[in-house]
Amino acid sequence: MNAPARSIIAGSAVDAAMLRAALARWCDALDAAVPELNALDARLGDGDLGTTLGKCAANVRASSFAADDIAAIFKACAQACAKASGSSFGTLLAIGFLAVAKSVGPRQTLDRDLIVEALQAAQQALAARGGATVGDKTMLDSLQALADALGAAQADDLASLKQVARMATRQALDAMRERPNRIGRARMFADASVGLDDPGMVAVHRMVQAL
Amino acid sequence: MKKILNRPEAYVDEMLEGLVAAHPEALRRLGDDGRVIARARPAATPKVGIVTGGGSGHLPVFLGYVGEGLLDACAVGNVFAGPRVDDCQLAARTADSGAGVLQLYGNYGGDRMNFDMAQEFLEMDGLEVESVRVADDVASAPVAEKAKRRGVAGMVFAFKAAGARAAEGVTLAEVASSARKAAGACRSIGVALTPCVVPESGKPSFTIADDEIEFGMGIHGEPGIWRGPMKPADALAQEMLDRLLPEVELGRGSRVAVLVNSLGATPHEELYLLYRHVARALAARGATPVMPLVGRYATSMEMAGASLTLMPLDSELERLLKAPADCPFWRVA
Repeated sequence: MNAPARSIIAGSAVDAAMLRAALARWCDALDAAVPELNALDARLGDGDLGTTLGKCAANVRASSFAADDIAAIFKACAQACAKASGSSFGTLLAIGFLAVAKSVGPRQTLDRDLIVEALQAAQQALAARGGATVGDKTMLDSLQALADALGAAQADDLASLKQVARMATRQALDAMRERPNRIGRARMFADASVGLDDPGMVAVHRMVQAL
Repeated sequence: MKKILNRPEAYVDEMLEGLVAAHPEALRRLGDDGRVIARARPAATPKVGIVTGGGSGHLPVFLGYVGEGLLDACAVGNVFAGPRVDDCQLAARTADSGAGVLQLYGNYGGDRMNFDMAQEFLEMDGLEVESVRVADDVASAPVAEKAKRRGVAGMVFAFKAAGARAAEGVTLAEVASSARKAAGACRSIGVALTPCVVPESGKPSFTIADDEIEFGMGIHGEPGIWRGPMKPADALAQEMLDRLLPEVELGRGSRVAVLVNSLGATPHEELYLLYRHVARALAARGATPVMPLVGRYATSMEMAGASLTLMPLDSELERLLKAPADCPFWRVA
């Protein structure tokens, strides 16, 4: 990675108020994606991914967030997702959020390098707990693409980074579409999964689009 | 599908409501969704709390073993689906009386992920937590990959050992060590005759011909070792022993806990036919069964079939097995 030294440009910093606003958009995007994700999941699994993420969104919306502690906000998101029943994706989101909370630590703003580190921490925690590796056609592939693209991005302003992030999760979907799912329930339908987007990767793409 | 139910999606919650109504002296229901079952009365003196959790559809496993000398609380999932992380945490917080909590559950990927996550949250809040998984089903992976095996009826012996050890008032490390010993000592294998129907989906857990059985099948219909024609009871019992004994040290003078378990629909009569053969085979080796259990201890709803669990006993495990225990489904006086 050829990331520049830790950036302190005001344009790329995210504070707690911006994070809360982004989470509100994240929740709206998940609500909107419930039917799409249920339909995608029904082709490979039991069709409850959208419903599960809708519950995560409702629980996140109902959470009370600490005023300016970014790690506390992510920890509250983890607890909120841990309350959602159904698909194991709720637990995976909780694992990801908690890893992010631990990675960023108590602080009031996030910059690009901290975001990349947090994404890598989430990816490692998900691999350790969920048992998947990059290439299995799961959201790990999306997170890896996100961390790589953000780390390598030339521009450092928030608008450009968001654009890079959206491109990265879109390209991850394109790159994995013709490959088989190698883990989870969809693994049992590995051949059938060739040519289909992984529902979890689509979920990550919808989340990133909303930010 | 013929099943006694009102609405499939209410199956688990209505079952829990009925269970607690039938046993108010023993059990209470907690949580925003009512998906945690705990002892009605907390332990009289502080002790290590024992919690478990898992999908519904296996009664008395899991929540049926909440009681004195056994478990303190249980997180309850839908039929054959793991409990929420949130409920695993609530079960542990309820079971904690200041001496720490042992999470003791069957080795399934989703449950492991949820309990690991719960442990992480609990430890962030300063709770002392240990986790032990039961992986006793020899059909689910070869001995070289023992850690991948699923947890089945052997959980009953692990629950008993951990609960009895905790009642002795020892530390969390000592309770976890005894639980690990019991979980490591027991071996199980099952045979399925007919599938069960999961209420929420309305579909059989697997399909099988009328005259066929599947040897080694898991308690959710996971594939076993072979599928073939039905065999006489003695032949089934002998093959179960043949699959277990290579991994269980049993010689002259050995003492062993034995569980002949119905997967749900198989009646006690048929279980006693199996036990008859097992008892003769153990006697021929000079091994003595201790407090044999024959009945419904770990089921798969209305699946027909049975499992055999053996746990060689040392003096500690025998003491823990025989210690007093009382829950709505099992009493050891």
